[in-house]
Amino acid sequence: MNATLHDSEAMTARERSAEFGKRAVPYLLVIPGLLFVLGVLGYAVAGGFVLSLNETDMFLNKTFVGLKNYIAIFHNPRFQSSLWRTLAFVVLSIGLGISMSMMFALTLYHVGFGRRFFRGLSLVPYFVSGIAAAVMFRFIFTTSGGFVNYILTTFGMEGPSWLGNPVLAFTVSILANAWFMVPFATLILLGGLQTVDKDIYEAAKLDGSSGLHTFRRITLPLIKPMMGVSLIWVSYISFSTFDIILALTAGGPGRATELISVYMYQIAFLELDFGQGSVLMVMLLTFNTLLSLVYLRFFVYGDRRYKVVS
Amino acid sequence: MSTPLVELHELRKSFGPLEVLHGIELAIEQHAFVVLVGPSGCGKSTLLRMIAGLESVTSGTIVMDGRVVNRVPAKDRGIAMVFQSYALYPHMTVRENLSFSLEMAKTPRDVKQERIESAAGILYLDALLERFPAQLSGGQRQRVAMGRALVREPELFLFDEPLSNLDAKLRVEMRAEIKALHQRLRSTTIYVTHDQVEAMTMADLVVVMNDGRIEQLGPPLELYDRPATVFVADFLGSPAMNLIAGTVAESEAGPVIDAGDDLTLPLSPGSAVRPGAEVVYGLRPEHLRIGDGPAGLAATVSLVEPAGFETHLHADVGGQVVRVISTERLDAVPGDSIALVPDTARVHLFDSRTGARL
Repeated sequence: MNATLHDSEAMTARERSAEFGKRAVPYLLVIPGLLFVLGVLGYAVAGGFVLSLNETDMFLNKTFVGLKNYIAIFHNPRFQSSLWRTLAFVVLSIGLGISMSMMFALTLYHVGFGRRFFRGLSLVPYFVSGIAAAVMFRFIFTTSGGFVNYILTTFGMEGPSWLGNPVLAFTVSILANAWFMVPFATLILLGGLQTVDKDIYEAAKLDGSSGLHTFRRITLPLIKPMMGVSLIWVSYISFSTFDIILALTAGGPGRATELISVYMYQIAFLELDFGQGSVLMVMLLTFNTLLSLVYLRFFVYGDRRYKVVS
Repeated sequence: MSTPLVELHELRKSFGPLEVLHGIELAIEQHAFVVLVGPSGCGKSTLLRMIAGLESVTSGTIVMDGRVVNRVPAKDRGIAMVFQSYALYPHMTVRENLSFSLEMAKTPRDVKQERIESAAGILYLDALLERFPAQLSGGQRQRVAMGRALVREPELFLFDEPLSNLDAKLRVEMRAEIKALHQRLRSTTIYVTHDQVEAMTMADLVVVMNDGRIEQLGPPLELYDRPATVFVADFLGSPAMNLIAGTVAESEAGPVIDAGDDLTLPLSPGSAVRPGAEVVYGLRPEHLRIGDGPAGLAATVSLVEPAGFETHLHADVGGQVVRVISTERLDAVPGDSIALVPDTARVHLFDSRTGARL
């Protein structure tokens, strides 16, 4: 072999550093965003955790009290009932939210005529702020002059006091919450459905699988990762929902819709007990994180048997 | 002759205002290996999907085993299909992929076991049964797709371009495997491809389709030797047949083709053609010999493609590019002057207006 030719073929130091630079660019571009998120979120979370271990007066002077705030909260019956209420709210919201999202996603998947229009339309609720959604639901469910009761009246029925009855108010809150979070979950599931090769459905059809059976045995397992992601979304929104409840019922009637997030707001900003409020923040964070990990484990990473190939 | 397994009568298919199949007539005998071949968009896949029951029938009838099946659901037609994309269930093992249809049919466990084992044996899948599709090579996935069809013991196998996703070497191997499998099992097969080599090598009956119509059907060599139209002549064979337009003229030695630019193409003396007729002169590349002396058509070599066993040559003859196949090693280089001698007995003549064989 010709030595000079060989030398000239090797990479120069300059070329090597250019190569390295090219690979480093994406990371460099991510850094500002990463710092921003860490700064805002990290500071809030760390600060909240510190606050939860302190007693704070109205001048924000802190006294370290260890787990005192935690113990006080856990023994508070108001907290206990709001915890159970929140769990019920989350479980029902997930059930309703995921089944609605799945139904919408399947429908949109099969829509042929006006496909783009309907897909766009279905996203609209997501662009409406929580407060606005709540106000809308108030209009719909207000006892006198509300849309639902107006309809009931035209049929000669007297509508109930939707937001005045504890059970009904709780139900309407779940509906409003679902209305807000379903579009995005639908979008995720629709994306999942679109990754499945259509031939697979035809193969299943030839194999004699009925529609429902195909859904259970083929579709669901194949969109498992997207199902996991939309579960994370739906659970997170339901655990943390605050604006919708505040504007719709403000936790009432009585405490019928006082979820942990609403309770947290009241304790921290109305009763000005930042320590106990922070305890609730830490709890919400822990719930959300643990639940997300569970979903990731079972839906996204849990099943390594296959790669979903588009 | 027994009654055909599949009969298509006046079969038409429209997507909206667009008719893609214009009245297909076809009868497929028991045990036959039928290949539907044609360029993309000719309707061959649509036709297959209609037979499968995956596409509705606009008009006409599909008869299977003497029974009109136009409205019979796909699963009840006694067919199995192998897809181009294989369409394996990615979240199921090979075994589960094979057993899915049997589960649907509520096949008893021992029968199921037996069928899976037998299919796995035939297709060399024994060692792969517990693997997932993502862990298999393209060829292995192809086999699983065939296995999935096999376990159903269908009356009719449908293949939709099953080899298109494989590399060239594997494609040739699988081609032979599918043909061997058919010779062994004798199951009636309809196979769709755009690859004329697959059509020629595998079929008992080749159906050449073009623009939603059957252009010609028959045994492969019959189509190769006596193409009914210019389209079939051009489509079958690689490199393709040389097709030169010209007019029939008289000479002392009998009729010839005047192709303009002082290019005169010889015909065999007995050719019954009407002088003055506009024709397309067709001659396969292997029926042009490179002459030793000056006798023949004067040509200039423009491209040489050594393919090992044979050499493909492109030559310029009176302004026309002509393809020649020689089984000899040639030392020709572009620019060389050669003489080409046509085998006049093998000349195909087509009406230049209708494209039909004369």
